[in-house]
Amino acid sequence: MNRHSKKRLCFLGLSLIIPVILLAVFVVYPFWELIYMSFLEWDGVASIRPFIGGANYQQLFFKSPEFWLAFRNNLTYLLIHGLMMPLELVLAVVLSSRFKGANFVKAVIFLPFIINGVGISYSFSYFFSPVEGGFNYLLTKLGLGSLIKNWLSDPKIVNYVLSSVSIWRYMGFHIVLFMAGLASVPEDIMDAAIVDGANGWQRLRFIQIPAIRTVIDFMLFDVINGSLQMFDIPYIMTSGGPNGASNTFSIYTIDTAFKYNNFGLASSMAVIMIAMIVAVQMIQKYITSRIRRKEGHYA
Amino acid sequence: MHKKMILTGKYLVSLFLILLVFFPLLITLVSSLRMPGSLDSHSPLWIPFDQITFSNYSNVLKEKYLLTSFINTLKIVVVSITFNILLGALTAYCLERFEFRFKQVIYILFYLAMMVPTNIVEIARFRVIRGMGLYNSIGAPIVIYIAANLMQLYIYRQFISGIPISLDESAMLDGCGYFRIFSQIIFPLLAPATATLVIVKTVSIVNDMYIPYLYMPNNRNRTLTTFLMRYAGARQNSWPLLAAGIIVVALPTILLYVFFQKYIIEGIAAGAVKE
Repeated sequence: MNRHSKKRLCFLGLSLIIPVILLAVFVVYPFWELIYMSFLEWDGVASIRPFIGGANYQQLFFKSPEFWLAFRNNLTYLLIHGLMMPLELVLAVVLSSRFKGANFVKAVIFLPFIINGVGISYSFSYFFSPVEGGFNYLLTKLGLGSLIKNWLSDPKIVNYVLSSVSIWRYMGFHIVLFMAGLASVPEDIMDAAIVDGANGWQRLRFIQIPAIRTVIDFMLFDVINGSLQMFDIPYIMTSGGPNGASNTFSIYTIDTAFKYNNFGLASSMAVIMIAMIVAVQMIQKYITSRIRRKEGHYA
Repeated sequence: MHKKMILTGKYLVSLFLILLVFFPLLITLVSSLRMPGSLDSHSPLWIPFDQITFSNYSNVLKEKYLLTSFINTLKIVVVSITFNILLGALTAYCLERFEFRFKQVIYILFYLAMMVPTNIVEIARFRVIRGMGLYNSIGAPIVIYIAANLMQLYIYRQFISGIPISLDESAMLDGCGYFRIFSQIIFPLLAPATATLVIVKTVSIVNDMYIPYLYMPNNRNRTLTTFLMRYAGARQNSWPLLAAGIIVVALPTILLYVFFQKYIIEGIAAGAVKE
């Protein structure tokens, strides 16, 4: 070994040792422990942790309707956010066309993303509250008082109400990301398309959307992850209530572990969740790479 | 005529969006200026000037743990982001510029760590943190943010791959050591990425409630978000008091946003748009 490669090794070792130890201790080991715990019956305290095979998984799949309800609630967030994406894209196109004040609008709609979720959740608890709530006030003023419902205590609508809060919080973020993508579309291409007589929809479909594929990928990833991990909004606004109707995966898992001291069962939930997120990401990668191959490279 | 209609449409859309954002915020603001306990039949959007009171604010500001939680938040942000930046840039540099044994293994582990949702791993991480005696200390969130919040790797690798390798090589011919190449040539060139990361991470750490809530139940270790939760819990029935609390806690990030609005928006967007 010559002096040069020794120095190189020294550099690599010194640089990587701390990050790798941190990774091993706080990510890899807990991850392994999570999988292991999912096969145990454990209350988080006892020194004996009996191995019970797949019993936790069996219980989840066959005897836990609450678990599946929580999962379905996460899908509600995903569905609503997914449906909003095309609208957010259109709004981004509108705000991207230069007009006076467009930057101000952009700054305002991004504001909710900067505020902490705890504060937002409390504000909206007030907004939707049956007593003095701003939303009911608005409906009454608009002559729609008959539509008033128990927004946060009716199990049929509570998840949609919570999803709308999530939309309020992230819409500006999504629009700004779309705008950043749209800004990277070369102007001469757009001008040429206009000269060729392409209308707004055609420009969007054949030039802008293919050009911002990276942004769309990122946002899908973010929306899927965010929806499956939804925690603070439902936790603060309803604590998963009424009666578990607005529980989400994260709330249910954390409650199972820390409130009901069933770490084994909670771990098996976590494993299923992680498996799902990884699977979704792989499917997404596969699909986007196929689309790319099919259409060639636009961007 | 046609052009005018389109422009009017744009302004209508803009107006709608602005109202949508401000409506709930305005209600919170108006409520925070109201006498606590006054039963309201009046508009949640308006308060006559002679009825405005700042007593709710003085109430929040007098809270014993407000300053403590602000300082805690600040400490957590500064320490964890500093380490995130230094370790992240160094790791990305090693992974991008060098070939070595176990590189693939290390790379895959980091990649998996970026993919796995952090929220849910806490069930298992909890034991590790408690075992190290970090439970109920601000060391817990700091160490978790440093170890498991890894988006910097992705962004730094992108950036480093754009820096010509001839720069490293010529520095090496001049007799520069690896640490000097990194600290004096590469790291300064990463400044835009670093700025983006500082912004994005500050916002996300200040606003995170999950980790502090889980690991630091102690009053002395509150952060701004868990302070607000405790404050709200104690004032269940008084919206004006709670509203003032919400605004005081949100103020630091809102002020940051007002001053650095352009950089924040660009920084956050850049993180996502980079191919």
